[in-house]
Amino acid sequence: MDALELCYASAGELARLIESRELSPVEVIDAHLSRIEATEGALNSFITLLPEEARAAAQRAEREIQSGNYRGPLHGIPVGLKDLFNTAGVRTTSGTRIFDDYVPQEDCTVAARFHQAGAILLGKLNMHPFAYGPTGENADYGHMHNPWNPEMVTGGSSGGSGSATAAGQCTITMGSDTGGSVRIPASLCGIVGLKPTYGLVSRHGLTALSWSLDHPGPMVRTVEDAALTMNVIAGHDPRDVATTIRPAEDYTAALTGDIRGLRIGAPREYLEGPIDPEVAESVRTALERLADLGATVVEVSLPMFKYAQVISGTILMTEAAQYHRELLAREGDKIYPPVRLRLEAGLFVGGPDYLKAQQARAAFNREARGLLEEVDLLAGPTEPVTAPPILAPQVQAGEDTIGTTAALTHFTRPYNITGFPAISVPCGFSREGMPIGLQLAGRPFEDGTVLRAAHAYEQATDWGRRRPPV
Amino acid sequence: MPQRTPLTKEAFLYLAQQAGLDVGDEHLDELFPYVQNALEGLAQLDEVAVEDFEPDLAFRAAPEE
Repeated sequence: MDALELCYASAGELARLIESRELSPVEVIDAHLSRIEATEGALNSFITLLPEEARAAAQRAEREIQSGNYRGPLHGIPVGLKDLFNTAGVRTTSGTRIFDDYVPQEDCTVAARFHQAGAILLGKLNMHPFAYGPTGENADYGHMHNPWNPEMVTGGSSGGSGSATAAGQCTITMGSDTGGSVRIPASLCGIVGLKPTYGLVSRHGLTALSWSLDHPGPMVRTVEDAALTMNVIAGHDPRDVATTIRPAEDYTAALTGDIRGLRIGAPREYLEGPIDPEVAESVRTALERLADLGATVVEVSLPMFKYAQVISGTILMTEAAQYHRELLAREGDKIYPPVRLRLEAGLFVGGPDYLKAQQARAAFNREARGLLEEVDLLAGPTEPVTAPPILAPQVQAGEDTIGTTAALTHFTRPYNITGFPAISVPCGFSREGMPIGLQLAGRPFEDGTVLRAAHAYEQATDWGRRRPPV
Repeated sequence: MPQRTPLTKEAFLYLAQQAGLDVGDEHLDELFPYVQNALEGLAQLDEVAVEDFEPDLAFRAAPEE
C-alpha cells in the first residue's frame, strides 16, 4: 500500500495490517504527516500539529506490537481532536487566541481513552471559535477550507475535523455537536459523522457550549470506523454526571449488513421546507435504496419540527452565555465579533423563557419518541444545501433565500433537543461535485441500529469511497 | 399569554450593566438591535402548548437512565 493509500485506508483496514505486523504504525504516521504537509496550506485543518510527539508515539506503538502487546483496533491509528478536547501538555485553544497559551494538565476522558487504546494524536483541529457557529469560520487561526472546493466552507463547528478526515490527513477525528457540529461538516465534507446518544460519550474535559445539548462524536470515513471508535470512547464516566451506567457494547457487532424488516420513517416536513432540489433528489434516491435493501420506508409527520430552531436556540444561547459570562465581561472585545454577539445575546434571555424552552423541549421529545414507537429510525437530509462559499451570509435553498446559520442547523438541531443518536453518511454529490449527506436517527441508546442502517447503505453505494481533488 | 413588549434601549442598557458588560462600549450599539431581534424570535415559544410539561432540567435522553 503506497503512502496515499495508507492515508485513505480506514482504521479497520489499517488495524488488520498493524495487528498482523504487515504494517508499522511508523509508516502510517509518516504517511499522514507527509499528507498533512502537502495539503495543509490549502485546508488549514490544524491549530496545533504534533509531528515529533506523533513519531515518538508511533515508535513506542511499534515496539509494543512487536513485543506482543497489541492493544486493539485503534493501536497505532492516527487521530485528531477538535481543539476543545483538553489534552495534557498540549495547548487547547477552543478556537480563540484568548486561550492561545492554555495548556491543560489533564486529558479529557475521550483523549485518555484514545491514549489507552494506543491511538496516536497527530494534532488539535481547527474549529469555529467556542464551537458557536456552523460554518468553520475562524478569524484567529484562519478559516477552514472544504477539500472538495477550498472556496467553500467545511461546515462547523468541527470544521477542521471534517476537512482533515475527508482529505486523508487523519484516520479518525473527534468533533462535538451542540446543534449539528459533527453532522454538518460530515455532510458538507463527504464523510461519516456520528452524534451518539446524549450521555453515551463523556463530555468531561471539553469546553462546554451548552451543557444539555453538547455531544462529542466521531468523524470518520467509514461506518465501521465510527463503530470502532465508539467501542473505545463510549461508556460511563464518573466525572460526567450525564453519562449512562449501561454496560459497554460492541458496536461493530451491529454491522450485519442486514436491514430487512427495519422500519424507517421519513418526516414529510424534512422535504417540504427550504431545500436544494439536488439534495432532495439524492435523499429520495437514498430512501429508495434503503427500501431496496429490505427496510420498510414510510412517510411520517413531526409537526413540532417547526419549533426546533427556537427551542434549541433559546437553550443554547442561554447556557452558552452563562458558561462564558465571566470571559465576556473580561475579554469580550477579543472574541470573534459574530460569536461575541451570539454569546452576549444570551445574557438577555430571561429565566422564564429559558424554562419555557425546556418545557417545549419536553413536548418536542414526547412527539419524537412517539414516532419512534411506530418506526425504528427517522431519515432525511443532513443539510438542505451543499457547502456554501466561505463567509456567505445567506444560502439559496430551492426557491428560498435563508440565513446560513439557520440553513445549516435546520435538520440537525432536532436530535440535539431529543438526544437521539444521529449519523450523517454520504449519499450523493451535486453537479458542482459537492457532497450531500443522509441523516439517520434512532431511539436513545440504540446507536447500534443507526450504525447498522448507515453501514448497510454505505456498503451498497460508493459515495463514501470518492476522494476530494485536494 | 401576556403580550411581549419590545426591548427599549434604556432597559437594554440596564440589563447590560447587570450582566457585567461595559455600557460605555460602542459595541453595544451593534449588540442592541441584535438582542432585540433575538428576543423577538423567542415569541415563537408562546405558540407551543407547554402546560402539561415540566422543563427538562435534569435532561436524559431516555427517562429510565
